[in-house]
Amino acid sequence: MNKDKKSTNFLMVVKLLLVFVLTTIFQVNAATYGQNVTLNVKNASLKEVLDVLRKQTGYHFLYRTEMLNHTRQLNINVNNEPLIKVLEKCFEGQPLTYSINEKTIVLRERPVPLQQNIQQTRITGTVKDATGLAMPGVGIKVKGTTTTSVTDTDGKYVINAGGNSTLVFSYVGYAEQEVAANGRTNINITLVESEAELSEVVVIGYGTVRRKDLTGSVASVKGADIKSQGVSDITRSLQGKMPGVTIESAGGDPGAGTRILIRGVGTLGNATPLYIVDGVQVASINNLNQTDIESVDVLKDASAAAIYGSRAANGVVLVTTKSGKSGAPVVQLTANVGVQSKSSSVDVLNAQEWATVHNQAHANAGLTPLALASNPAALGEGTDWQDAIFRSAPVQQYNLLVSGGSESSKYSVSGGYNDQQGIVDVTGYKRYNLRVKTETTKGRLKFGETILLSREKFVTMPAGWGGQGGNPVGSAIKMIPAFKIYNPDALGGYDGASGSVVNIANPVAQLYLNDINRENTSILANAFGELKIIEGLKYRLNLGYTNVFNSNYDYYKRYQIGGLFSHPTNDISLGKDQNVLLLLENTLSYDKVFGKHSIQALAGYTYQSNNYNYTSTARTDLPDGIDQIDAGAGIVSNSGNRIENNLISALGRLIYSYDDRYLLTASFRRDGSSRFGANNRYGNFPSVALGWNIMNEDFFEPLEKTFSNLKLRASYGVLGNQEIGDYQYSAAVASNINYVVGANQQRWFGSIQTAFASPNIKWETTKTSNFGIDAGFFGNKLNLTADYFVKKTTDVLLNVPIPGSAGSVSNPVVNAGTLRNNGVELGLSYGNTAGKLSYNLFGSISAVRNKVIELGTGSQQIFGGQPNHHGATSTLTEAGGSIGSFYLIEALGIFNSQAEIDAYAKDGKLIQPNAAPGDVKFFDKNSDGQINNLDRVNLGSPFPDFEYGLGINASMHNFDLALFFQGSQGNKIYNGLAQDLQSTNLQMNYAKSTLNAWTPSNQSNIPRVTANDPNLNSQTSSRFLEDGSYFRMKTLQLGYTLKDDFAKKLRISSFRTYVSADNIFTITNYTGFNPDLGRTGSIFDRGVDYGHVAYPLARTISLGIQLTL
Amino acid sequence: MKKIYIAFCVAALLGGCKKSELELINPNQIVSETYWKTETDVHSAFAATYGLLRNVDGGFWGVRGIELGNGRGDDFFIRNDVADLYRLSTFTNNADNGTVNALWNYSYRGIFRANQILENVGRVPLDDAKMKAYIAEAKFLRGLNYFILAINFGEVPLILSVPKDETEYAKPKAVEAEVWKQIIADFTEAGTDLPASYTSEWVGRATKGAAMGYLGKAYLFTKDYAKAESTLRQVTSMGYALMPNYEDNFLVTKENNSESLFEIQLGDVGGTEAWGGENASGALGVTTAQEFAPSEVGGWFEVGPTDKLFNEFQKERTATGELDPRMYATLIWDYPGATFYKKPFSDFKLPFGFKSMFKKYQNYTQANELTGSSGASNYTSSNNERALRYADVLLMLAEAITMQGRPAEAYPFINQVRTRAKLAPLPAGNNQTQMMNEVMHQRMIEFARENHRFYDLKRWGLLQQEIANSDKVGKQFFVAGKHDYFPIPQNEVNTNPLVIQNSNW
Repeated sequence: MNKDKKSTNFLMVVKLLLVFVLTTIFQVNAATYGQNVTLNVKNASLKEVLDVLRKQTGYHFLYRTEMLNHTRQLNINVNNEPLIKVLEKCFEGQPLTYSINEKTIVLRERPVPLQQNIQQTRITGTVKDATGLAMPGVGIKVKGTTTTSVTDTDGKYVINAGGNSTLVFSYVGYAEQEVAANGRTNINITLVESEAELSEVVVIGYGTVRRKDLTGSVASVKGADIKSQGVSDITRSLQGKMPGVTIESAGGDPGAGTRILIRGVGTLGNATPLYIVDGVQVASINNLNQTDIESVDVLKDASAAAIYGSRAANGVVLVTTKSGKSGAPVVQLTANVGVQSKSSSVDVLNAQEWATVHNQAHANAGLTPLALASNPAALGEGTDWQDAIFRSAPVQQYNLLVSGGSESSKYSVSGGYNDQQGIVDVTGYKRYNLRVKTETTKGRLKFGETILLSREKFVTMPAGWGGQGGNPVGSAIKMIPAFKIYNPDALGGYDGASGSVVNIANPVAQLYLNDINRENTSILANAFGELKIIEGLKYRLNLGYTNVFNSNYDYYKRYQIGGLFSHPTNDISLGKDQNVLLLLENTLSYDKVFGKHSIQALAGYTYQSNNYNYTSTARTDLPDGIDQIDAGAGIVSNSGNRIENNLISALGRLIYSYDDRYLLTASFRRDGSSRFGANNRYGNFPSVALGWNIMNEDFFEPLEKTFSNLKLRASYGVLGNQEIGDYQYSAAVASNINYVVGANQQRWFGSIQTAFASPNIKWETTKTSNFGIDAGFFGNKLNLTADYFVKKTTDVLLNVPIPGSAGSVSNPVVNAGTLRNNGVELGLSYGNTAGKLSYNLFGSISAVRNKVIELGTGSQQIFGGQPNHHGATSTLTEAGGSIGSFYLIEALGIFNSQAEIDAYAKDGKLIQPNAAPGDVKFFDKNSDGQINNLDRVNLGSPFPDFEYGLGINASMHNFDLALFFQGSQGNKIYNGLAQDLQSTNLQMNYAKSTLNAWTPSNQSNIPRVTANDPNLNSQTSSRFLEDGSYFRMKTLQLGYTLKDDFAKKLRISSFRTYVSADNIFTITNYTGFNPDLGRTGSIFDRGVDYGHVAYPLARTISLGIQLTL
Repeated sequence: MKKIYIAFCVAALLGGCKKSELELINPNQIVSETYWKTETDVHSAFAATYGLLRNVDGGFWGVRGIELGNGRGDDFFIRNDVADLYRLSTFTNNADNGTVNALWNYSYRGIFRANQILENVGRVPLDDAKMKAYIAEAKFLRGLNYFILAINFGEVPLILSVPKDETEYAKPKAVEAEVWKQIIADFTEAGTDLPASYTSEWVGRATKGAAMGYLGKAYLFTKDYAKAESTLRQVTSMGYALMPNYEDNFLVTKENNSESLFEIQLGDVGGTEAWGGENASGALGVTTAQEFAPSEVGGWFEVGPTDKLFNEFQKERTATGELDPRMYATLIWDYPGATFYKKPFSDFKLPFGFKSMFKKYQNYTQANELTGSSGASNYTSSNNERALRYADVLLMLAEAITMQGRPAEAYPFINQVRTRAKLAPLPAGNNQTQMMNEVMHQRMIEFARENHRFYDLKRWGLLQQEIANSDKVGKQFFVAGKHDYFPIPQNEVNTNPLVIQNSNW
């Protein structure tokens, strides 16, 4: 073999790799020329296959290039078979035939069969995908005949068929469609992607694998399935679509994003999954553009995730952005304009009602009411504070994507602009995105990069102004309606609460007098170089870099608001932080097929370093309208710090399959982390998984009509979690704990150890077993994926609450216990056609149970979930129970008479001595004759029995429709806001329900109103525990795609317009704003609706276009 | 560049990872192992321990501490605004009260830090005298925190060393007598080795007088009157004297004066955030004056004096027939020429139906309470809280002597207090009961708002009687025995398996 040939071969292979970049696993036996061929290609064009055949056999092919235009793509897997047989496969159903002349094979157009039926007509049409893009290479077959055709690059086809025949359209990755011609000569159809199509490629970290070879549990969503809904972040549009993946709003302001939980809560600390974007770890994916997403793959079980070792215990979310494809440039423009409005409100009293209830509450307590309430009728409706801060807010998104390339280089470049105003006045979110992704091949080398730039600007609400209202939404609910919004004479221009009332700030003033902006600039750059060493063996160097700059601006204007809020100076506070991540990965991969054996091996060594630093400065007393530090005349204060952590790892993986029947995946990672002390710095994370493609067994053949796919999977592995703060192993001496000293009263600098160190903490370890089945029925029209898993986490890292008497300001991190999560997940999809209608139904359901096996010393109890400003905790976590179970004093009802109070006694002593008729009767669980925290009982879980999503995509003629529903069943919510509003012992506004409070003549189930509440009706109890189940119609989208001929006249490839609605309705018994709680704090607070951070969900209606040139 | 270099080294070596990359030193903080090298380290540790006493959330002399120290008294009203405070002042509190929880936690933080000083000061090269003085100062602080815990909670865990590991975090409660024994031991040792005074640079730290004064107080609380007398008598010869004007004790311009044995040092010389916590941005003053001020001057009028207190002041006129000057210094009400915050009293409304407002410790010579002395809108008051005044020493001494059945000997001490208040000397011939009544009356009006009244009533056994016999809101919910102490905070009960709740709770 001479050198030239070798290099030609090499170039050939590289070209093919490029063409099939993610979809092809290619093996060629280059050493021997001959009549036998070994070939394994997927979605390859005829030309590409012919080129390979030429190379393997030395035969030459003779044809005109345009003859190949209407040929279909090929999936061929042959091992050492005669060329002649392979040629038969290649030309089966092609519009071409061939003849062999010595070493030359001549191609020609297949003659129209002589016995052609005179009734045959010529049918034309266009095939498009759900997004309206033309689909080239779609195979069309007249059912029951050998007549076939293929769509051209514009998605157009021509086929001759009988008027009553049925056309079958098929394309890899899409559900096959049958359409009856019914005499038509023009048939346009839309193909819908099938959910669990076998040949789909799944991103698994440091590589990809065909779904049929997958042994782990991976949930995937393709970019094309993410419907633009007028929401700014991609995670929100993933909600309910992946079994086992819980996505909850992270509440609050526009741009606040979501939090993702994968397979329940496997840790008591940070349960955030690991996010990887194009190979680089990021803190959040909320800044990504929906239209840039090629796929989101969630690694759920240990087999899939173990390659990420110590960071993978909470699951791994892999985001792959779009790559270019070779061919003419494609320009796509999408635009979406919509309006959002609040979808719910909290019912509170108007001014007159408030005064009436207030007066009654004071009369019942024997206390003097406020003068403010002295004449209820005169107050009228008063101010509707919720109306005053909520608005309808526009949202708009524009994206432009240009992609294309040649065989040696490809590119995909996109830009986006996103502008979402909040439904709370003033708030808003803007984002600019720019993304470049290219890939180039030269000889043995391949290199490429992803560059993602984003700039986000958040205008947020103040969290609180002191006092007890909390954020403006919380304040708007609690603020007494008898107060006014504006006072032109007051400094700042606002009126507000005065007198002896709870100090709640005017929410409108909060929004307008406090400018709080955050700007986030994020750079992600990832470059790789890949060198083919020998056939199948590749070395890859990956350099990743992210740099996230945050700057915070907080300008606080001077004001005098009512009688309770004054601030005589303009103050400013500015902060900047930066997080730099450096990633270096060396991997060596080897892919080879030996006969029936196929291996994919990987070994790697990675280094990752993370550096965070922060500085902030503040100054007081600025002139009105000036917001520069230098202009301030008052106090300067500043602060800053830096954090660094490093991770060094070795990793390896072997994927082996025998005869496409038996599959094995084994992986291993060893991580060294700077977060742990010398004794526990390294951790090992192995995993193994087995798969069995039963459908490929000979004995299965009789069932193949029903089953198009059947695979069993089982996996086991060990994952770690290191999500604790840095430097926890050393006892730090905190500085600036200052005091005043001396005759001149100077600052006395103080420092001391304020908390305990945790020198011996070690990795949190999660062992996961997974059993799964993938099945396809009736030509993959119906697909099913089901998984059962058991996840056991030991050495749970936790800030274990220690006694206050130990004297620490915070709780030390310790390895505190063992948790178990087990659950089932089911994903189903069904795609078919009915007449002109083609549709796809899909659904997912998952149920997870968590149990605390051990905690701390054994009897350790962790209480959490404080629901409001002053209440007691509401949840308990302890061994034998579930995480954060509601643990509350039980309210039994209302005492309707003094006799009932007197009868509620223990040993002759009243159990509730301070009660009066109309007060709440509480359950004396421990029968000690008094009501206290020893009477708390377990009353349910914040985790649902199951969660589900259900969707329909359908298209007919040029219209397409998408519906999506999603929900949660069986979880409880503690309504902290209700506790505040129904507690008439505080001088603020009350819930509407207090109008129906108990009186001797109206013995309702709402306790009497009382201004001093000696019976503690308002204490944290089961009174405020509600059912959190909900069913939500999340998405409705109706699209229309322009008819082809019309599009052609306009010289565009396709044009689709749609109207979309998000969060159309929610069916729930929950009385708060939103049962899909946005609380992001500790896991022990889950399911507790904290009134201070309330934020209603927006309903969005938007109009969009998708234009492809 | 360094990173990239290392990265390439790693790439080249494939497996020979650099261990040092994983051994990182916290760049923000020194660690305990390398601290405790110089006398400055010791000083800094003391600042961090003293500072807790005025912490806004849980320091006994911070704003919440003043509210809960006084709030249960018959002379004090807390409005229905901050639920936790209202509940404890109306005796409808339970173990979940956040304010009480904070008092507990901050007192124990003080103990943790004092114990750190005691265990580590030996590592610092110091001469013997200095070493002894620092140990004495740390013991004073520990004793003071246990004193706060004992009078509020009774039985509490006694923690006298730094926990070595997690097995030592939880300790059971000691009986109250044990706690007092420790308080007395700490104050005794502090009194032996503390200096009588400091150079002007260090004024404000604990002195021998402070330790002896508190030791006398501890004896009085444990009814060891003989020892109380002998201890407090020593204090009378240490050079302390009453300020000529009672009001001087509550003015920012007359801090650390001759009457002051121990004073909580407050100044608007730190950060600007009143609730900023223990860091550079945290203010070093307190918000008490702003929270207590009327709304007309930017205050939140969270508290007020009851009319029982208003009337108590008027029980005796001065020798010249005037109202007691202490009434003018403590309260503001509608009297001819009354001005408050540079405004006539008629500009103010009395929001609760009581006849007066608190003037003591308010910065009423300013126009409002919004701006600290630094100029920031941080509501911060620099007015030191006088924790232990010589007037207290005199009245405690009078009480200790009287309770030993020698009322006649108490006259000189009680008369010093009366004379300064321009009252006529006490007529001779009081028996023990009459003398105690006089002590009780004097203490009520001398120390209003100074965290004394409730605890005085408790040790006199008069809580139920005096609360019933008052215009206190919520007095009908007072349960004798139960409300004498706070319950152990629920958080402590939740996290400390060795602690059981106080009886009646």
